[in-house]
Amino acid sequence: MKTLFILFCLVGMSGSAVAADYQVEKGSTLNFSGSFQGEKFDGRFRDFQAQIRYDSTNIEASKFDVIVDLASVSTNDKDRDEALPGADFFNVGKFPNAHFVTRQFKKDGDKITAEGTLTMKGVSKPVNLDVVFVSRDAGGTLDVTGKVQRLDFGIGAGEYADTATIGDEIQIKGHLELGAKL
Amino acid sequence: MLVKNSTERWGGIAKSLHWLMALGILGNGIVGLIMVDMSRGMNKLNIFAIHKSIGLTVLALLVLRVCWRMVDRKPIDEPMPRWQRVAAHATHGVLYLLMLAIPLSGWVYNSAHGYPLQWFKWFNLPALVEKNDALSDLAGETHEILFWVIVAVLVAHVGGALVHHWFERDNTLLRMLPFARLRSRNHGDPS
Repeated sequence: MKTLFILFCLVGMSGSAVAADYQVEKGSTLNFSGSFQGEKFDGRFRDFQAQIRYDSTNIEASKFDVIVDLASVSTNDKDRDEALPGADFFNVGKFPNAHFVTRQFKKDGDKITAEGTLTMKGVSKPVNLDVVFVSRDAGGTLDVTGKVQRLDFGIGAGEYADTATIGDEIQIKGHLELGAKL
Repeated sequence: MLVKNSTERWGGIAKSLHWLMALGILGNGIVGLIMVDMSRGMNKLNIFAIHKSIGLTVLALLVLRVCWRMVDRKPIDEPMPRWQRVAAHATHGVLYLLMLAIPLSGWVYNSAHGYPLQWFKWFNLPALVEKNDALSDLAGETHEILFWVIVAVLVAHVGGALVHHWFERDNTLLRMLPFARLRSRNHGDPS
């Protein structure tokens, strides 16, 4: 009985330590960059929801689940911002969200990789993110970087598929301010 | 065809620069008029990119041309009344200024709007100014107005050359044409 009690405590403790759920707070950003006519441009998504469970001591118990409102895209260019939600690019009328969910986490020395699946415009593809978590008080900051090929998801297909004009590779950069989940 | 100018006629380099730029300016004017009314899409992006590339080419050729003009001697003016000579040289001066100001105003417009600038999908050129909506509008309007000014000045330039060719029957046009034989000079009364 005593053993069982200790075991219960251990499970309870490890449960709270391993699977730390965080709340995404103000100051969090989801940015990306691409290239147009040989020049880099930066964009961001103003609206996204992220469910973050993270523990550096038991990385495999971590889980990210992120939903991005694609219509909230902004790239500091009126023409581009009008074009991106359209059918040729995100097609937000039919596919309002992008969804990224992790499958597993891997740790290689100091390098942590979140292997996940990104679903966009009805297409699901594996996408890996490099993860840097910095603990702070009850929360911390989480920085992720990765890249996707826009054409994998049919973003800017057809006449916009010319990668000499619109680069295929899109860099993704997320910065999350995390607080303890209430 | 001689490479350098003679006292009688323009040489190969001056002629090449003249006609290449004539082609570039005429072509880019037509492209410019067409592209602004195109509906949004990849074709429009590409044709704007071509317009910018041609404009940059004309600008680069202008620099070469001015350098060459300073190095090589000029042919002597064909005999003509003083007012015609003054008018012709004034027209040339204004054309040089416009050939500088039109691509530059386009470049400023492009930069102030925040567009990239790529030469025939090969390499990129820097922005001349920071992104600035008011400056972008101003430079865009200037670019368009100067285009219509150069159209007017080119009518005078081409018109003058044709009048000299058909009515004065001198070598004004012929000495700039590639491979043309000059008319024997009329030493009579130039008026």
